[in-house]
Amino acid sequence: MHQRLMFGMLVYAGVIALIVARILFLAAFGDHAGRKVGITALIPERGDIVDREGQPLARTIDAWTIGMHPNKVIGDKLEIARALERLMPERDAATYHAMLRSGRNFFYLRRRAPPGLVEAVNALGEPGLSLDREPDRLYPQTSLAAHVIGYTDVDGRGTAGMERAFDERLSDPATRGEPLTLSISSRLQQALEHELLDAMTEFSAIGAAGIVMDIHTGEVLAMTSLPQLNPNAAGQGSEEARFNRATLGVYELGSTFKPFTVAMAMDSGIIKSFGQIYNCPDELIAYGHVIHDTHPFGRQCTVAEIMKESSNIGTAQIAAQVGSARQRAFLDKMGFLSPIAVELKERGRTLSPGSNWNQIETMTVGYGHGIAVTPLHLATGYATLFNGGIYRPPTLIKVDRTHPVAKGRRVFSEETSYKMRALLRLVVTHGTGRKADAPGYRVGGKTGSAEKYHNRSLMVTSFAGVFPMDEPRYVIVAMLDEPKATAETYGFRTAGWNVAPVISRTVSRIAPMLGVRPDKRREPNLAEVLPFVHETEH
Amino acid sequence: MSARGFRSVFMVASCAGAALGCYLVSLRVASERAALENVETKIVLAQRDIRLLQTEIGTRGRLAQLERWNVKVLALSAPSADQFLDGGFALAKLVAPQDKVDLDAPVVLAAAPAGGPRPQVEGRQPPQGPDAGQGVSAGEMLHVASLKREIRPVEKAVAAPLPAPEKAADRPVSAAKATPKGQGPKAPAPKLQAAKIQAAKAPAATPRPASAERKSAASDPLAPLEIAAKPKTLASTTRNSGKDSGSKQ
Repeated sequence: MHQRLMFGMLVYAGVIALIVARILFLAAFGDHAGRKVGITALIPERGDIVDREGQPLARTIDAWTIGMHPNKVIGDKLEIARALERLMPERDAATYHAMLRSGRNFFYLRRRAPPGLVEAVNALGEPGLSLDREPDRLYPQTSLAAHVIGYTDVDGRGTAGMERAFDERLSDPATRGEPLTLSISSRLQQALEHELLDAMTEFSAIGAAGIVMDIHTGEVLAMTSLPQLNPNAAGQGSEEARFNRATLGVYELGSTFKPFTVAMAMDSGIIKSFGQIYNCPDELIAYGHVIHDTHPFGRQCTVAEIMKESSNIGTAQIAAQVGSARQRAFLDKMGFLSPIAVELKERGRTLSPGSNWNQIETMTVGYGHGIAVTPLHLATGYATLFNGGIYRPPTLIKVDRTHPVAKGRRVFSEETSYKMRALLRLVVTHGTGRKADAPGYRVGGKTGSAEKYHNRSLMVTSFAGVFPMDEPRYVIVAMLDEPKATAETYGFRTAGWNVAPVISRTVSRIAPMLGVRPDKRREPNLAEVLPFVHETEH
Repeated sequence: MSARGFRSVFMVASCAGAALGCYLVSLRVASERAALENVETKIVLAQRDIRLLQTEIGTRGRLAQLERWNVKVLALSAPSADQFLDGGFALAKLVAPQDKVDLDAPVVLAAAPAGGPRPQVEGRQPPQGPDAGQGVSAGEMLHVASLKREIRPVEKAVAAPLPAPEKAADRPVSAAKATPKGQGPKAPAPKLQAAKIQAAKAPAATPRPASAERKSAASDPLAPLEIAAKPKTLASTTRNSGKDSGSKQ
């Protein structure tokens, strides 16, 4: 009996001790009544996207959402429907009334509602109308670099651009605290977009694309595709506006390919001097095709003259000497035969003669016909040609300690790369690209005007240039899709008339920002090409 | 006996007291922690507000908007290549006065005294007296070399006596200039002027500058004061005194 009593007492004491211990534990370490579940760190719902200078390009903010819980409505449904029609006229009173009587649990009335509307709905005092905060993606710079940044769907998942490519990194709680730093510079982007949009409007083009790139690191400093798109309301943009012409659209970029052909020939030992002579008749008949020139020589011409006057006939002969296998190998090493190696998922498949790469195709590819690549391919190609001959994939992420420069592969020899400087500068100082010259900034480059395959009366004009040509640092590519002739261009619609001025204006604006010092006394060594130009006057 | 009887009660009381003390300490810690969390929350909320405001400012002042304002109102443009300068020297050159060559100006030569006998300038007497060969005055270091020409008669006609300073004080400059010779006291020709004249005129045979009135080494402010002698030439004296009287007013 005594033992049982003792046992019961011990059990009782044990339980009490346990409760006391628990109370003490809770008192010391547990939550208390006044404790709030506070925010201790500011981690956004989705990571920010910033430009290379830290300017925010995409941010997540708390936006107001107005919803309706029909089964919680207590007021007069007809009155509420009328009030809602007055405040949000996108639906009529009958629709609101039907929604209120539907018996369903929830309807969204407005997402990303402005504060004034939220206040007015709140003033109705109806508990069936809910006002909530939910994270929303905001693009403060609106259309700036819209095709690079991309946009998200209504649930905050990236559906285009870098939002799509880095969706996981931007939404992962472990990584979203750190902003994603792009290689884009807002100021350069704005300058490029503005000048390109001006030209697109002036020449009534249906679209345009532009790229500025650092040739040594492969960083894309500005990339735009027009018409403009506002990623804050991407759904309202047209299909044409959502299309990224810079990386997804592939175009026959015409004469801008010619420097590659000449460089291939120089690297292969076919061209030993810019004074090498080719026969340049008014038209060249090759393999049943007739090749024409815009400015036919009708005589023998040098390599320097071929480039200066953008001769298809001369370049086709050089390409024929290079040969299809070698040409293909070079283009492959430059990444022209595969989708562009950039972070974006919007990458166009390039078009080439493929298995049908015969002698005539080699000749046409030599002057940029019969091969379609993206403007970013072209920019990368020029970067390869002028950075000493090393291909590096372009990148949209800022190059720094955490993201070093990508490993390159040699395509052209350093000597070829060096010699090409004078040739491309000649095109701007004496040839078809004169309007692209920005005084003091030593722009060198090549114009390109190609007819569209499906309609030969429509053109794609482009200019690929490098500056400062005496010590190349940046490549700039601009392209206009279907520009029309104007009175100011005297009826011409080739690249020298419409795209080249864009380059001149843009370089004059962006070069000081990039730290390129204008100097009218500096030039690449034009003595390498000028002796081989017979006609200095165009 | 009674103390021993209450011993257990004391033990319980002291245990309870200790437990209560511990509880109070933990309660205090918990409330401090809660206060700290409140502050942290406030900081985060403030950061969120800052972020929101920054976003709003960024959105309102977006680059496209600035560009629009620039096109419509400000019309700022990128600097042209000519607006960039090589450095401070190029910048200073922009404000430097234009160097105009005046063909009528006398050619002035500057020479430094050598240890030995100095080369003799044509028409100038070697320095005499106790200081000869020692301290060479600045005036002597300057030689005026120019074409020998007769002084224009007009300049001689203009010659006027020194103005009377006390009278000039209550007259306009022009009046002071017109003071006839001999009316004012003679002495006040300042020593400085005299020195300048002396430096220019020294021996009678010294070749004179083409136009004695021009600013030259002869009217250099560095001209020595100690060799100031009696002013003899009136052409320049008049001019200088006129200046002086003007300055006095």
